[in-house]
Amino acid sequence: MEVDREDGRSQNQLRPLACSRSILHRAHGSASWSQGDTKVLAAVYGPRAGTKKNENPEKACIEVIWKPKTGQIGKLEKEYEMILKRTLQSICILTVNPNTTTSVMIQVVNDDGALLPSAINAACMALVDAGIPMRHLAVAICCCVARSGLVILDPTKLEEQKMKAFAYLVFPNLVHSVLPEGSPSVQGEPIENGIITSVTHGTMSVDDYFYCLERGRAASTKLSDFLRRNLQQQPTNSSKAG
Amino acid sequence: MEGRLANAWRLTVNDKNFIKTALLSEIRIDGRKPFEYRKISIKFGREDGSSEVQLGQTRVISIVTAQLVQPYRDRPKEGMLSIFTEFSPMADPSFEPGRPGELAVELGRIIDRGLRESRAVDTESLCILAGKFVWAVRIDIHILDNGGNLVDAANIAALASLLTFRRPECSLGGEDGQEVIVHPPEIREPLPLMVHHLPIAITFGFFNNESILLIDPTHNEEAVMNGRMTTTVNANGDICAIQKGGGEGVPQRVIMQCLQLATSKAASITKQIKDAVEAFNTERALRKIKRHPTSTGVDVREKQNQ
Repeated sequence: MEVDREDGRSQNQLRPLACSRSILHRAHGSASWSQGDTKVLAAVYGPRAGTKKNENPEKACIEVIWKPKTGQIGKLEKEYEMILKRTLQSICILTVNPNTTTSVMIQVVNDDGALLPSAINAACMALVDAGIPMRHLAVAICCCVARSGLVILDPTKLEEQKMKAFAYLVFPNLVHSVLPEGSPSVQGEPIENGIITSVTHGTMSVDDYFYCLERGRAASTKLSDFLRRNLQQQPTNSSKAG
Repeated sequence: MEGRLANAWRLTVNDKNFIKTALLSEIRIDGRKPFEYRKISIKFGREDGSSEVQLGQTRVISIVTAQLVQPYRDRPKEGMLSIFTEFSPMADPSFEPGRPGELAVELGRIIDRGLRESRAVDTESLCILAGKFVWAVRIDIHILDNGGNLVDAANIAALASLLTFRRPECSLGGEDGQEVIVHPPEIREPLPLMVHHLPIAITFGFFNNESILLIDPTHNEEAVMNGRMTTTVNANGDICAIQKGGGEGVPQRVIMQCLQLATSKAASITKQIKDAVEAFNTERALRKIKRHPTSTGVDVREKQNQ
């Protein structure tokens, strides 16, 4: 089945990716991630002393602040903050620095579809740039189901609005996946087959969802290659604290 | 959170003394002369009305949007201009999220005064139907990185984004001509705003010693200086606004010296903004010509050469 996408991509093609690290001077870690016209800037400060009142002081705490491009902060931004916080909490090693807070700030520079996945990718890179200890990396992708039943990857804003349903998926990316010995497995299944976060909008059948997962996982290996290559290229700056 | 106060950045006494002693010999820690500006780089986003300005290490983005609203009762023929400043916590560890603090409000007011009261932006051209529909232009300024002198950088960003902003064209229709039809950008080319002149803000720093005067302070110098003054002037030599809120008192001749300096700096910055806007407009026109879908979507397999 051939689908006619506006910019001429096929259903499994991602938009051109671009990212850069260490772009801000005051922040301890920063990264900018763009997929096509969607551009997100992430900055990390931390770990800083103290945790908020309701947080467990025996672990490190992650705080996310999401700034939209224009307008006031509303429920949508709060929801994104919560999803991002839970996702990042599962990839960071929280027991290393107890009673500290790591703040992640997201600034939306332009929104052209797949905003949350771009933000998660940017936040992950910014955490690496800041040197926050993490268990593994996370790569996020957006898959949507068209009314015709076709699954396409990385939609633009117009495409997202026309879709029947779409899902933001976040997959783990371990260092073992790039080593030749293979990856550790949990109950017989390799860890990469796991999923960290899944947020869906709209209704889709169970088969469609599993198909999305499959497509998303295939694309995430390419995304994680891109991410790792980019992280390896730039040498990290020496301490930027203070 | 009490933790935030504990992590507030403070300059050490040694650093402060070093900066002050160096300034006595007219040396600044980043190698500039006292009346030299840092490098200004102006970039634009894909959409109209979004700009990113880098002044040395300071980084600011500005987004302009517009909406049709009902005008104020006492000004039925004028559009509205409002400026919202966001001191994002990513810019500085001491910035708190939530309500804007003093600095953010002051910055917003300085830029607002420069644009509105000097009539830089023509608000009467924003009126579509007197008393019923006018355009309300909203400028959102996000501070991304605080490297010092946020006012100047934010002002340049606001001006750059205003110059590249395009509002949709609308016409009056309906039976009695009382309805407004907004034409989408694909049907009719959107229109730029009418900007008469460009008010440029120039900030000066004063110290205890009268002989030390500098322009465009970095955040280290801001922590050391005892007074600041922001003058908003345009390239024609008109003074649009002066802001000096407290701090070290300075004699009149120093103020006059600052004003003369500001006028010369304003001319060069105005030229830089205009050149950047012109380059953007050319590129925008070229983009309009290329109507065929350029295959920007890249097959992920081929991306490995990056």
